[in-house]
Amino acid sequence: MTLPPTAADEALRHADEVSAAPEAVKIHGRSPMQIAFERLRHDWVAVISSVIVLFFIVIALFAPLIANAFGVEEGIVENPSDVLELDTGYGLEGPPNHGFTWDHPLGVAPSTGKDNLAEWLFGARTSLEVAFVSAIGATSLGIVFGLLAGFSRGWLDRIISFFLDLFLSFPFILGALSLAPILINRFGSDAAKLDQAQFYSLILILVFFSWMYLARLIRGEVLSLREREFIQAARVIGVPTRRILFKELLPNMIAPIVVSFSLGLPAFVAAEAGLAFLGIGLTERPSWGQTILDAIPHFEVYPLFLWAPVIGIMVLVVALNLLGDSLRDAFDPKTRR
Amino acid sequence: MKWKKPMAAVGTLALLSAAACGGSDSSSDTDEGDQTTVGEAGLAQDPNVEPPAAPIEGAQSGGTVTVLSAAGLNTMMPPEAYYTNTGSILTSLVTRELTQYRYNADIGGMELVPDLATDLGQHNEDFTEWTFTIRDGVRYEDGTEVTAEDFGTAIDMSMDRKQFPDGAEYSNEYFLNGQTYKGRYTDPQGSCDCYEIDGNTITIKMERPFPSMNYWGSFPAMSPIPADKSEDPDEYALHPLSTGPYMFDQYEPETSLTLVKNPEWDPNTDPARHQYVDQWDMKLLEDSSALDQVIIEDQGDAQTTLTYDNLLLPDYQKAQAQAPERVVAGPDPCQFYVFPDVRKITDPKVREAMAWGYPYKDAWLAGGEIVGVTRSPETQIVPKGVTGRVTPPYDVYGNGGQETDPDKAQELLKEAGKLGMELKFLYASDDPPSVDVKDVLVRAWKEAGFTPKPVATTVAEFSTLRADPNTDINYRTGGWCLDWPVWDSWLPPLFQTDQYANYSYFSNKQVDQQLRQLQSEPPAQAAEDAQDVEKEIMEKYKPVIPVGKGGVAMMHGSRINGMEVDSVYGLLTWKDVWISQ
Repeated sequence: MTLPPTAADEALRHADEVSAAPEAVKIHGRSPMQIAFERLRHDWVAVISSVIVLFFIVIALFAPLIANAFGVEEGIVENPSDVLELDTGYGLEGPPNHGFTWDHPLGVAPSTGKDNLAEWLFGARTSLEVAFVSAIGATSLGIVFGLLAGFSRGWLDRIISFFLDLFLSFPFILGALSLAPILINRFGSDAAKLDQAQFYSLILILVFFSWMYLARLIRGEVLSLREREFIQAARVIGVPTRRILFKELLPNMIAPIVVSFSLGLPAFVAAEAGLAFLGIGLTERPSWGQTILDAIPHFEVYPLFLWAPVIGIMVLVVALNLLGDSLRDAFDPKTRR
Repeated sequence: MKWKKPMAAVGTLALLSAAACGGSDSSSDTDEGDQTTVGEAGLAQDPNVEPPAAPIEGAQSGGTVTVLSAAGLNTMMPPEAYYTNTGSILTSLVTRELTQYRYNADIGGMELVPDLATDLGQHNEDFTEWTFTIRDGVRYEDGTEVTAEDFGTAIDMSMDRKQFPDGAEYSNEYFLNGQTYKGRYTDPQGSCDCYEIDGNTITIKMERPFPSMNYWGSFPAMSPIPADKSEDPDEYALHPLSTGPYMFDQYEPETSLTLVKNPEWDPNTDPARHQYVDQWDMKLLEDSSALDQVIIEDQGDAQTTLTYDNLLLPDYQKAQAQAPERVVAGPDPCQFYVFPDVRKITDPKVREAMAWGYPYKDAWLAGGEIVGVTRSPETQIVPKGVTGRVTPPYDVYGNGGQETDPDKAQELLKEAGKLGMELKFLYASDDPPSVDVKDVLVRAWKEAGFTPKPVATTVAEFSTLRADPNTDINYRTGGWCLDWPVWDSWLPPLFQTDQYANYSYFSNKQVDQQLRQLQSEPPAQAAEDAQDVEKEIMEKYKPVIPVGKGGVAMMHGSRINGMEVDSVYGLLTWKDVWISQ
């Protein structure tokens, strides 16, 4: 009578087999991440757009330093009547009525005399700050609620799904429009507080109205994964639910998460500018949307004033979108080459 | 008088906070305004003008004028039309009143002339009774004759504050029983007993002396309204019966109005109106920037198009470069003030410091005003061209109404022991110019030694909060536009206790008494004495800081003629417009 082979024997045999294959091609396991990055490296669209995104991130991080290097400052630093022509309201130096000057490389804003370059640099900062924080927030919420809804059967799933549908059906612009005056009247008496309130509420609004998409995606994934053998096995041997969720399920969903994060960024950049343009976004700090609103009536005489923020938004959004697309392709298991 | 529309007013007034006046450096700009001093705000009166109106040399008949504006028409109900655009359109084109204004090219301004009354009214010695004789042969658009009773109906309606909360309140203020009688719709059984009708004359009795009744007679509230056709005020508001040269054809409240010729209007009864144009097409709530471009480009129908909105600053530059002859600029009847809340800023020295610290030109630029055209410096309360203006000019703060000197402001603050004093003011954070002005103000107040505390609100809430005496701010900004070109349209509203435009909450028994006294004096004497009272108030109490006077910069297409500035309404001379064919 022989004993059934133990796990140890089995392992030994495997070892034998492996060593038996003489000098076989070295197989190294590559994680999905590695595969994706390998693909990205060869995708020139991805490379170029990440360089552009990186460029904007550097601008945002070092806005004050860059502004200093150009010798410009954000906000109203001089009396408008000292830097503007009284009869036209345009700058005494620089476009549109005078030639290029290094003092104000993009000219000064009519009416207020703010330096356009500084406003642009700090506008980039606002834009990316809002976009990144909102994207991180929306992704985290999406992950948590998606996992919970997908994994828990019964009432919790139903409740979360209900809220998912509720938020999906709530008109976003309407929410933002109605919240703006409430905040202004609540925090209006203190400019610094108002700025903070507007900033965080903008992020909250953006997060609250965008976590559902990822949550729904994740819930669907979890629904299909939780019936798979490795999850069943984990449950059988008594792995705690928290561990199953975060160690077993989550790693399988890196791809949709990365993609949703990267495609969320450009949406948030555009949303921030759009709300500022409507006058319901940030009003106490520079924002591209606001500059666009100010610049529209001056377009004919002073097009540069409008082009700067428009090109900023366009390039950043296109780059982020292309990068997101490339990421999606890279992470998609069905496009294995 | 109120601005063109509530929204616009809020925005503009918010700006005012800054938009003060600045002075233009080039004296030529300000001189432009001075050219029309005499008639600038309707100083002249001529009771003897006889109908018909003298024809305009070279004027041609026919054509349709298109009118574009960003402001809506709030309401066209005569007793309630109190915005400059509704009032001006009604009184010039549609409804006829007791008296009216006409543009007199010789004096370069407006003058008061008779309308449906045969003269400018006869009054008793102390101005408590005014008698107007109504012309014969004047008919409504439906052919019925205008009678003196119809003016009685209009007076009853003009006293109904519940039905017409936005209307001007002069009937309540001055007419007999004006404070107790609730008006025609609210109290249909009652009567004010404030007028007597005898054939074709109406005698109006006053609660207190009202020397400016002939000016109040030019308001749409004093146009005849047939009692049997106005039982339902909401219905009548959609089609007020015309007595003037044009009548309502199509009317969408706020958004559009088409006027066509009124066949019943007889030029032989009207001393000032013409009927050259066939039709008026008014399209409202248009985009400012777009409508400016249409008129500047002057293609096709744009040649017969005009706007009574001020050109936007960039468009004004363009218009001046391309077609200066089509820009109509001139004075308007508004002045702008900073009103320190005298209950909270009690020391006149601090108020003087504010006058030196206020960034006149900067605020003005930030508010998007055209320096020297739509805003220019002013140091006095009663504006140029208004009876009772202080002459020779005085300047209580000594800064010419446009000079900012932070050092001087700091010194004054130190003297008062209030260095670092808080200044709390409102701005509309959803209105970009208002935010820009706020930024400029914060900077300037800091430099001047104050501690600025801007209080954010919304465009929608702005006027309500500003009008609330308990709002936690300590100065307000605002403008006041004249109702008629006499001092009593300025000093009492601004300085009397609890008056509508008294945003300083200035209250002084002696001043109240003086102003009451002035109103019972004969006009010529009062105009003299009012100057001393104004100077005394300003020198002794310094309750307001003048931060500029307004101006208009309108534009018309190349085939429009006869468009001048109506300095009473701050709009155009509708009555004289014609199209070259």
